[in-house]
Amino acid sequence: MTLALAIPSKGRLKEKCDQAFATAGLVLEQNNARGYRATLPSLPDVEVLLLSAGEIASALLAGDIHLGITGEDLLRESAPEIEGRIALVKKLGFGFADVVVAVSNYWIDVSTMADLDDVCAAYAARHRKRLRVATKYAHLTRAFFAHNGIADYRIVPSSGATEGALAAGTAEVIVDITSTGATLRDNGLKILDDGVILKSQANLAASLTAEWDANTHAACATLFAKLGVDSALVPPL
Amino acid sequence: MRPYYKPADIEALNRQAVTLLKLFAARGYAREEPSVLQPAALFLDRSGEEIRRRTFTLTDPSGRDLALRPDLTIPIAKKLVEEGAPLPARRSYNGPVFRHEPHAQDQPVQFFQAGVELFGEADRARGDGEILALAIEAVRAAGLKDFTLRLGDLGLFGALVDDLDLPPHWRSRLKRHFWRPGYVETLLDRIGHGDETSRLPQDAAEIEALLDAQGDAPPAGRTRAQVIARARAEAAEVLKLDGNVAGAIVRLLDISAPIETALADIRALLKTAGIALDAELAAADARLAVLKELGVDPARVAFTAHFGRSMEYYTGFVFELRDAEGATELAGGGRYDNLLELLGAPHPVTAVGCALHTERLLTAIGGAA
Repeated sequence: MTLALAIPSKGRLKEKCDQAFATAGLVLEQNNARGYRATLPSLPDVEVLLLSAGEIASALLAGDIHLGITGEDLLRESAPEIEGRIALVKKLGFGFADVVVAVSNYWIDVSTMADLDDVCAAYAARHRKRLRVATKYAHLTRAFFAHNGIADYRIVPSSGATEGALAAGTAEVIVDITSTGATLRDNGLKILDDGVILKSQANLAASLTAEWDANTHAACATLFAKLGVDSALVPPL
Repeated sequence: MRPYYKPADIEALNRQAVTLLKLFAARGYAREEPSVLQPAALFLDRSGEEIRRRTFTLTDPSGRDLALRPDLTIPIAKKLVEEGAPLPARRSYNGPVFRHEPHAQDQPVQFFQAGVELFGEADRARGDGEILALAIEAVRAAGLKDFTLRLGDLGLFGALVDDLDLPPHWRSRLKRHFWRPGYVETLLDRIGHGDETSRLPQDAAEIEALLDAQGDAPPAGRTRAQVIARARAEAAEVLKLDGNVAGAIVRLLDISAPIETALADIRALLKTAGIALDAELAAADARLAVLKELGVDPARVAFTAHFGRSMEYYTGFVFELRDAEGATELAGGGRYDNLLELLGAPHPVTAVGCALHTERLLTAIGGAA
């Protein structure tokens, strides 16, 4: 069996991946026009798949691929508990972004999760329904709100521009990803002081649910050596 | 996940259900039979995320959102509100419920529950006693000889907090976080040391100006008056709580002992701190009397002051009934006085109830696996 390694198929993550491989002396050869597959000529036992960042997280979780490069935010969002299913083997130093809780600047009295808790409880008591949190990160949001003891809210899934949910009136709070905070500021939003859920970056991750045979194990060890990853992190057979 | 029931188990469960429902009917509890599939909004709109994350939802072919009922209490309470049934009202049920277990993949997601709900009984102590007694009678009728009980009372802590000289939002903050280990202690420590520092201006005009300076930031569900009122309350806050009182609350939350010892400890503690909670203590005594009358050995009954259940809607008395070793919860219940208003009742309706995990009960009496 060949080792299946998935990398992002487009955008800045793809460019940064190519750079990281080049630094490690690995050249990616895309061998068909549609660009869904590639090879590393120096590592014939590795098959490179080009997928979207979100697909990489779910393929790792399902064990459809052995290794993948994607954001930690997407990996942790792919399932409530990734321990024992996905191992984060190396932080790659690019793709930095924070998953944060943001509220309207209009809420001048709210700057912490404790303030938000008060407002959630008051909202539920006044309106007899829960305040809405728009997000693409339902799992991360649930875990973080539970950790902060906030129960009076409900998640509304967001598929498009989450930062616009407040202006559109479809939510009162958002949990979203930000790198500079500029988009949030432009939309009249602020990040809560203790509202950073995750400081994310691109990670090389290994699927622990994928099938690991002697061949994939050896290919993984070779690849890890080139990328400077501790050989102890090669998933066991 | 368990894909099949054994025919013998289902027969035993059915026989047990007949026994339980007969008892409930004899005590005046009318059977309700909500559908397994319910409108998703019934559970999702009014519940917090803890219930939402455990609820199975689906979309029917025409696009309506449905849920497999995670409990029968909410549909039964909703029906009562819609019908405007005369109060007090007694209701019973038996049937499967569906709950996702996020941290225990081996736990069944479908299991049978039987239970009772008592709505609109004005005398809360009496209602609590009736439900507690009926739960015990029910497990005995099913054949359970030995069991342990744990009692708690969210009302005790609530009354204690209401007695404190604190702004209302601090009281509700303390009550909301009652069940979180360590959190209330931290909050009380903060209050006790009076170090709540606010970054908001003290002056009303400055607060108004600050809000005006936010440009076209979306109001996000809150009116200007609401934001200003909370900002002013936060800014004006200089919290200082008598260290003795804060200490008494923390020690009270630590109390967990056989019920007679625990109640004596609570009395001694309140006396030292100069706090009178006569009504709550009388209610606790009344529940103990109910247990004694039923021949339950008080040494097998624990009272745990911080036992509040993580189920979101409990507001007062709570209890759980376990097997003789205390390993498995067989029944649980309590008071949830806020639910009916949440479901649209025009005025508050008291509510107390309990649910029996009938499959575990059957296992406990050796009826089947």
